[in-house]
Amino acid sequence: MAAQVPAFVRRVDPAGTPVSGTDRIVTTVGSIALANLNAQIQGQERLAMAGLLSVPQHAALIELVALRGLVVGRISDYEWADAQADALVRGHPAVGTALLSRARLHVRLHRFGAASLDLAAAVSLGLDPEVAEAERAAVLQATGAYDKALTVFRAAAARRADFASLGALAVLHAERGDVQSAETFFGASRAAFRGVSPIPLALLDFQHGRMWMRASENERARRAFASAVRLVPAYAPAQGHLAEAEAAIGETCAAVSRLLPLTRSSDDPDYAAALARILRDAGREDEAAAWRAAAASRYDELLARHPDAFADHAAAFLLEPGGDPHRALAWAKRNLALRDTPRSRQLVARAARACGPARRRRGFGNRGNDEARA
Amino acid sequence: MADHGSGPRAFADPVIDIADMYVFPSPERPDRLVLVMDVFPFAGPGAFFSDAVDYRFRLRPVEIAATGLRAAFTVGGEEYVVTFRFGVPVESQPGLLAQDCTCITSMGHSAACRVNDEAGGQCPGLRIFAGRRMDPFFFDGVRTVQTVMSGKLSYEAVGTATTAHQNILSVIAEIDIAAFTKTGHGPLFGVVSETLTHGSLSVRLERFGRPEIKNMLLLPRQYDQVNRDLEVRDLFNQEDAFQLGKAYAGAYRARLNANLAFWDGLDGKVDWPLGEHGAHPLTEFLLADFMVIDVSKPYAEDSAFEIEVAMLKGAEHKSCGGRSPNDDSIDTYLTLLVNAGNGPRISDGVDAPAVPSSRSFPYLVPPEPNPPPVRPPALNPAH
Repeated sequence: MAAQVPAFVRRVDPAGTPVSGTDRIVTTVGSIALANLNAQIQGQERLAMAGLLSVPQHAALIELVALRGLVVGRISDYEWADAQADALVRGHPAVGTALLSRARLHVRLHRFGAASLDLAAAVSLGLDPEVAEAERAAVLQATGAYDKALTVFRAAAARRADFASLGALAVLHAERGDVQSAETFFGASRAAFRGVSPIPLALLDFQHGRMWMRASENERARRAFASAVRLVPAYAPAQGHLAEAEAAIGETCAAVSRLLPLTRSSDDPDYAAALARILRDAGREDEAAAWRAAAASRYDELLARHPDAFADHAAAFLLEPGGDPHRALAWAKRNLALRDTPRSRQLVARAARACGPARRRRGFGNRGNDEARA
Repeated sequence: MADHGSGPRAFADPVIDIADMYVFPSPERPDRLVLVMDVFPFAGPGAFFSDAVDYRFRLRPVEIAATGLRAAFTVGGEEYVVTFRFGVPVESQPGLLAQDCTCITSMGHSAACRVNDEAGGQCPGLRIFAGRRMDPFFFDGVRTVQTVMSGKLSYEAVGTATTAHQNILSVIAEIDIAAFTKTGHGPLFGVVSETLTHGSLSVRLERFGRPEIKNMLLLPRQYDQVNRDLEVRDLFNQEDAFQLGKAYAGAYRARLNANLAFWDGLDGKVDWPLGEHGAHPLTEFLLADFMVIDVSKPYAEDSAFEIEVAMLKGAEHKSCGGRSPNDDSIDTYLTLLVNAGNGPRISDGVDAPAVPSSRSFPYLVPPEPNPPPVRPPALNPAH
């Protein structure tokens, strides 16, 4: 009849039957998904500020804001969510859902002991033990107790093998360094996806990329991060890691171009730190110095407010390009005390090596120790 | 609420959450049928439709197969499909994103419009609109939840409309009735709206037939003696409304039997005697979850469920049925469930929309620029 059919509608015929078999999963374009996440948050925030949300509804809003913080690399979102979760518990100290919400924020900010306490309290207040078990498994995984976490994740996948449970197994195997098993579960998780939001798939691709990066498979890492970025262009950690993968395979200009906007859009110093490292490696020391200073200043702010959450990344920065191995070692040790993972152990070992004989002569009483013990 | 947040999947991604559907003959053009689908409850100003989702209406001819307590429709095999699809937003002016929409029907129509353009778009036999509107649904959701939790009718003379002055995303099609009656079908049609994925694996995400099937009749679990721990709404959403699968039918029946008996008992008497194995007389009727419209009858604002109620009484229906935005369909529904029309009309205390819908295209009123904060209903507010 009248109007010509635009190209974007040609993916399926009028009855909804697919035209092509290649586009098995089609997701909402990332810009819409992020706009809608913001719209969802705006709508709920008004109600939260007016005190009209029930505890589960308020907890759901906290999760949405934390998710946005994760995607766009906005630490202020985490801080807002953290404060809201704490206020929710203060307002409803006998409600398990409130404690669960705060426990989740504790995990995100690496306060694992506090998370465990909140989860135990939540169960005693009637929280579904299965829900609490899943959160406990996240704590176990984050703290390096991989075997125990694996038992829980396997049981969850046996009960219901869906995108989330299979994805959790994939990420855990990847963190353990079992690439072969991880690959199987990454594929299975992806195949089980049944939604249209690109965000869960982008998060999965990001973890896939991290696995390859840990394995020094930089080209594979680049492809996985690029896939995450294609799904959600505003996904800051994926953009940041993609830049690092690009730099690792010699695409320095692309990496720098990718990181520069992130230093403006995100309040996370990781991007300034990565930029400093890449520019220094490229011999552009003058430019690197400015980004190094910016990152150092921001890490100092964040370490003062959230020492556990930033101990890991700050230690990595202080080691290089921060040029302060003693502080790096102190923060790396604090991180290792929180989470005994291969990465944590490697970070301590690298920092100790960087300190060299001088450290052994000077002992351990430097600024880093005082800070990290605080 | 009508179907707002009708399952975990809808809560997680409101762009696929069908909040409501209205089907009515056009008041300004009696030869046209109007189809309205609302998604994204409480949509903020930055909300867009998904470019990966088909927003579609399916219409099938139906006939009355039985009346009385075994009332049922038979569903014809012919199907008419009206599908809305959306593009990726593009910058139309500096800092301003615009989204385009196309509507295609299985009868050969194709029309396009820009989202939020009041004029919509059209082609011969079809007129369309897509965009943000004020949610026309009116209902005291909080007191409905109180009713379910307390086991007592908790409505007041003047209720609080849960979605008053809130906004949603709407797709609206006004289609020539002759397009699906010229082959001899009609005048009764069953209508269902759906959201489903594009791609080679096309998945039905949400569907809507009648209001409050999922949130009032499938969500509450405490009266269900069979599957008290099962959230059945997402399973139900994936079913074909015109051909329910067998796998979970028992679970749906158990939940409906339990909750329908609960609603019937709220006035202290039984108007719907249960059959063998606790079967409620309305269960099979409501499991066939599509909205029925008689396209031979004119627009009305009190026609919701009239066809079904007449069938249950063994009488001939007098109106177009379907559902128009100004119709207090929830009161009609509550009355049907609680006293089967054998007592006073049951009211939730909210009898009209905050701003009545128009009698001219696109019918739903423009969005509220500053929606007031409202308390959304919560089945378990504390836990």
